[in-house]
Amino acid sequence: MSGGRAGGIGLAWAVARRDYLRTVRRRGFLVATFTLPLTIAGFLLLGTLVGSSAVPAGGGPVPIVVVAETAVDLRGAAAVVPGVTLTDRATAEERSATGEIPAWFLVPEGWPADPRVIRTTGAAQQLDLGDAGRESAEQASLDALLRLALTEAGGLDPLAQERILLPAIVETRTETGTTVSAAALAASFIVPFAFALLFVLAIFVTSGYLLQSVTEEKENRVVEIVLSSVPAFPLMGGKILGLGAAGLTQATIWAITALLGISLLGDRIGGLPEIVPDPLVVLLAASYFVLGYLAFGAIFAAIGALAPGTREAQQYSGFLGFFAVLPLVLSAGIASDAGSPLVWALAAIPLTAPSTLLLVLALGDGIPWPMVGLSLVSLTGWIILATAGSARVFRATILLYGARPSVRTIVDALLARG
Amino acid sequence: MEPGAIVAVDAVRKRLGGTEVVAGLSFDVAPGEILGFLGPNGAGKTTTMRMILDIVRPDAGTIRVFGQAPGIAHRARIGYLPEERGLYRDVPAIETLTYLGTLRGLASGEARRRGLRLLGEMGLGDAARKSGAQLSRGMHQKVQLIAAILHEPELLIVDEPFGGLDPVNSDLLKAVLRDLRARGTAVIMSTHDMADAQALCDRILLIDRGRRLLYGPVGAIRDAFADGAVSVRGRGLPGPGSLPPSAAERSERDGTVRYLLRPGARAADLFRELATSGAEVERFQEEAPELGEIFVRAVAGDPRAEAVR
Repeated sequence: MSGGRAGGIGLAWAVARRDYLRTVRRRGFLVATFTLPLTIAGFLLLGTLVGSSAVPAGGGPVPIVVVAETAVDLRGAAAVVPGVTLTDRATAEERSATGEIPAWFLVPEGWPADPRVIRTTGAAQQLDLGDAGRESAEQASLDALLRLALTEAGGLDPLAQERILLPAIVETRTETGTTVSAAALAASFIVPFAFALLFVLAIFVTSGYLLQSVTEEKENRVVEIVLSSVPAFPLMGGKILGLGAAGLTQATIWAITALLGISLLGDRIGGLPEIVPDPLVVLLAASYFVLGYLAFGAIFAAIGALAPGTREAQQYSGFLGFFAVLPLVLSAGIASDAGSPLVWALAAIPLTAPSTLLLVLALGDGIPWPMVGLSLVSLTGWIILATAGSARVFRATILLYGARPSVRTIVDALLARG
Repeated sequence: MEPGAIVAVDAVRKRLGGTEVVAGLSFDVAPGEILGFLGPNGAGKTTTMRMILDIVRPDAGTIRVFGQAPGIAHRARIGYLPEERGLYRDVPAIETLTYLGTLRGLASGEARRRGLRLLGEMGLGDAARKSGAQLSRGMHQKVQLIAAILHEPELLIVDEPFGGLDPVNSDLLKAVLRDLRARGTAVIMSTHDMADAQALCDRILLIDRGRRLLYGPVGAIRDAFADGAVSVRGRGLPGPGSLPPSAAERSERDGTVRYLLRPGARAADLFRELATSGAEVERFQEEAPELGEIFVRAVAGDPRAEAVR
């Protein structure tokens, strides 16, 4: 009946719209959605506060004022090390007292026999979040000054002095000769892995919303009134769509926040600015999120219907987490050989395919289209079968209040018997 | 099937978990009548109602609702108050009513407007913004009833509607059901309360183990189970030694004489005999068993049930 089908779509839409709005307005959803971005923003703010007062923009040397009472001549080195000003004690004390400089260093007469150097801060100086970063930067400039002065005093040639003062520069190259920084290498694993983890987390959180919605309506006994208006299939479909949209909203906010975080981190973490997501990979990642959610969501809807209560539903659904997490556990292997038989097997299994392919796309080199094709076929087939079977189980068990349906009841429902 | 019937159930069977819970059941419901759906626990009442609502599909037989197979098309014309009732715990009552109204085909604004009006009429105007968890049990039940009638259904199915209701809310519900009947709504009401069924229902359908035991107007069923007893009050009634010809037995208690009619005799015969004997009859009442008693007898296999099956 076409009218019935149209009516079913309309009802599914009404259920989807209502479940979406109800979920995104829930306190728990808002907390979960914005806790992550706020946490990242908090860390960024903290990092900015720490860095801003200490290190000049661009990471250059920090100006320091040094009073030299040592017998070692620091003047030559001070002329070379950027930012170093040599002065007398009275001038340093006066500039500190007026707040012109935050601190000054006294290299005492006994140095270098006595390794101690005195750092004096102004009386009005308050401890702030920038102190730690600033001291660290000042220390680096002071070390450079003193080492250079000692090497000059030792009569070493300038090249030897430079090798002593500056660490060796390690340059990493790929087999094709492309130069890659170590930080970029680390970031190229950590960031995609974090994104894959985020998506897998989002799939599970979203499936959890679905489970919660079904078990709640069953426990509240509202479901029978709803079922008298909306047949089981449109009801389940509407819930899957509405709560999937809520999960997608959450995942999108997380992903955008993470990308913003990466761009804001800028040059603080080497290599991050070099990561530019391929639009095709993003599209595939979004597809795997949707397909992964549908693959798990269909089962979660059935679990919500057949479980006597929320606790049982969570117990039943818990084992499914194994499938989602398994590829993450094996991520090192996936990163080292994204085309291994193990990875192909994980890509072929519907419940491990989404997180496997998310990892392969994130960590691998390029898009492995044959593997993508296999996983899409596997996932699509599973979703069709699981949704049809779940709809039958949903219909057969949703009204069994407080009772645990027998295996026979479930099998009969799956086989559409009775 | 009666012409114009809103619901027609014909030889319907349903098996659940290996047990046949509905076994060839047939009945119909006309507009403007309340059909009392009676039966012991597990008789198949709820399953039958769920089949009419298309929540459960029959294994065999046919069900017609508004002349068609049950389905989405009729959702706007049917109201349902299930036995297992509940509301969303964290959602305001008016939001729940609006949502359920939209599922029944009302526009969101219209559902909200009707919900607020009915809440006000039932004395729940202040509870519109309260969530399900904040409502008392009585308020819960009123909100659920409003959800069932919000869209002004032509067919209302209520499963054990008086369960847990206090006398005030019970009377309120009865008044609502009578009002709906007066406006032409067909009502199928499952209940264990025989007094309520007797007071409210036009016809009775009694089932046991999925089979029909009794079906017909309340009066006809009570007549069928009448024992032929008549209670009479008056002056000059014949004494124990002079039984009227149509009476087989006589007993007296608190000034009321109870006659048991002979087989084949009618109450009218007895009345005529008493009148001609010179007695002055002040009260003459045929005794009919209460529905509760009939229920027990029918389930126990009383052969008189055959006449009204």
